[in-house]
Amino acid sequence: MKGKIEKTLIASVVLHILVLGWGLLSFSTKAFVMPEEETVAVDVISADQLSHVMAGLKTGKKENPKPLVEKVAEAKPPVDDAVGKITEKAPVVTDTTPPPTPKPVEKPVEKKPDPPKPVAEAKPKEEPKPVEKKPDTTDPIAEALKKEKPQKPVTEAAKPPPQPPKPKDRTFDQTKIAALLDKRDPSRQAVTGDTLNSNAALGTAKGSSADNSATWGAMFRQQVERCWKKPYGGIESQNPEAAFSIRLKRDGTLETVPVPEGTPATPYLRVYQESALRAIIECQPYNLPAAYFEEWKFFAPVFTERKS
Amino acid sequence: MTDKDTSRQMTFRPNRRQLVSGITAVGLLAGAPVRFAQAQKRIPIQEGDFAPVPIAIPNFAAGTPSDGEVGAGVTQVITNNLRRSGLFAPIDQAAYLEKVVNFDVVPQFNNWKSINAQALVTGRMTRQGDGRLKAEFRLWDVATGQPLAGQQYFTQPENWRRISHIISDQIYERMTGEKGYFDSRVVFVDETGAKERRIKRLALMDQDGANVRYLTRGSDLVLTPRFSPSTQEITYMEFGQGDPRVYLLNIETGQREIVGNFPGMSFSPRFSPDGQRVIMSLQQGGNSNLFVMDLRSKSTTRLTDTPAIDTSPSYAPDGSQICFESDRGGKPQIYVMPASGGQAQRISFGDGQYSTPVWSPRGDYIAFTKQGGGQFSIGIMKPDGSGERLLTSGFHNEGPTFAPNGRVLMFFRDPGGNGGPSLFTVDISGRFEQREPTPGFASDPAWSPLLS
Repeated sequence: MKGKIEKTLIASVVLHILVLGWGLLSFSTKAFVMPEEETVAVDVISADQLSHVMAGLKTGKKENPKPLVEKVAEAKPPVDDAVGKITEKAPVVTDTTPPPTPKPVEKPVEKKPDPPKPVAEAKPKEEPKPVEKKPDTTDPIAEALKKEKPQKPVTEAAKPPPQPPKPKDRTFDQTKIAALLDKRDPSRQAVTGDTLNSNAALGTAKGSSADNSATWGAMFRQQVERCWKKPYGGIESQNPEAAFSIRLKRDGTLETVPVPEGTPATPYLRVYQESALRAIIECQPYNLPAAYFEEWKFFAPVFTERKS
Repeated sequence: MTDKDTSRQMTFRPNRRQLVSGITAVGLLAGAPVRFAQAQKRIPIQEGDFAPVPIAIPNFAAGTPSDGEVGAGVTQVITNNLRRSGLFAPIDQAAYLEKVVNFDVVPQFNNWKSINAQALVTGRMTRQGDGRLKAEFRLWDVATGQPLAGQQYFTQPENWRRISHIISDQIYERMTGEKGYFDSRVVFVDETGAKERRIKRLALMDQDGANVRYLTRGSDLVLTPRFSPSTQEITYMEFGQGDPRVYLLNIETGQREIVGNFPGMSFSPRFSPDGQRVIMSLQQGGNSNLFVMDLRSKSTTRLTDTPAIDTSPSYAPDGSQICFESDRGGKPQIYVMPASGGQAQRISFGDGQYSTPVWSPRGDYIAFTKQGGGQFSIGIMKPDGSGERLLTSGFHNEGPTFAPNGRVLMFFRDPGGNGGPSLFTVDISGRFEQREPTPGFASDPAWSPLLS
């Protein structure tokens, strides 16, 4: 009898874990869905957005998640404080001060001079309103990220919410900019550097928050496309597609031979798959940001003619 | 009684414990693989350049000391074939780190990776004791180190060129996924002499320009030679005594016969895919119509009966339809009709005049000559008339013929002036246009099916 109870208890516990686990996993797999747009390191800062940043925040709201900037390297002074603090120091400091972000925790995180990236941005961006929501989700992440370099995810997570309310608050004030411009040089850089969020997509409903695949995905794609010699498909290709799962080491070389998904049905598809395999092998080592190693150490490149 | 009870229980009512543990087990099984598979991020990659495959072909090794020459010759023919197809970029032998490759061992791929070869061909020729020649080759993928293809052939020594073409076809097929076309021949009209008094002879050669042979003596004007699918017969037009006639020539025996005895002139003959019939146009009075003649029974069937000029017929590879040129609508256009006759459907609708249609051996395209805007162009379209593309345009281009794999077209071009026409090949994507080597001027080419 006792044995029976234990067994049913165990079964019950296992079933509960399964259901809850499935729920958790199904969310996280969505996070892996990569937005289809080509994210390339391009600065697309509109004039008023820039001015907004420059104008600084009287209220200390630093918004502006700049669209798609991969300037990982730059990372300088984080957001220009509206207050006009010259950010020659670690951006972190300035960032933390103006925005009344209720996240004291993150400030120390910011202090790291290394990633003067968006992380700094993130902080100022948070507005009071979205902030409440944020702290719940981002704080633990921030804590975790504190340990390692990439603090971008925090930034990105922080960005989407602040975005919508921001634009309304800003009004373009020329004098302010003029006044600020002089001191602004470093911060200007910071601004662009901050924009590091590679994911404008963060603002979308897809909300792939803790994901940097747009960054390293674009880098991998550019590098492998260099080597990929597509086979001659005549005029009508049969919409071929070849997917592989690959494992990379930290130095960007392949750990094992890439494993193709599926067997090709026609000779042309086989040749297509082989050409893609050759491209992956020839283009190593891949120069990918070490910060996201956990993400790109195992992924699936899909070579395709289908324009989705 | 007990049995009944237990059996009933087992079939209708598994007890709760079994049910629960069953569900748990299934759930565990279902949950695990899904998680693993979806853990990978999928990165789409779409932009790659089409580029010819860099391939390294070191000289075929000599099995016996006297085989060095034939080994070098075979390598030369293969390299030439692959380069002329436009899909391969053979690497210059001077760049090789290893000039002599041992055929029996796995190659040192690092030597070939360093010169950026993606594929490697190794081979060996060995003269056998009984006089035959043994040819062996292997095709390697340099990046993965895997062998992709390999074969061994025995033949008479004088057939070394055909072996080279067969090996080229194997390499082409394995690397592109398409059937090859190198082991084939081309029949054409060879033209020599001054422009006013051109001597035209039928000539036959390998598709790479080697082994040229003349089939007629040049005393009479010959036109539009075409191969039979069985490749041993050619049908062509000759302006002999009286009206032009369609002839059948056996390449091997040299025998010649007239295809039927028709009053009036007969033009543009072509074989049916099964080689049993010849379709041609017969001119009677002011118009010309299509007729089919069965070669064995010599019975003829009329296919069209219009006051217009219907000419230049060509069968679809499955023999069910024909395409031909007709001016029944005013200007020459291309029509498609069932092979036994019937309602003809017009498929060409662009600006200009369309002529000399020929159906691809793959059945997916019809090639034609188009004349318009002062230019002559060679183009292709799908059999329903859609997807028309022009592959080349100029002062003069005419007479397309498909390679056996339906991916390359040959045509002739006359630059005008005092020169003469030459043969050219172009890929159906419009790329890789190049001149076909012929001993003199040449026109009216026709490509044979694969010999093997």
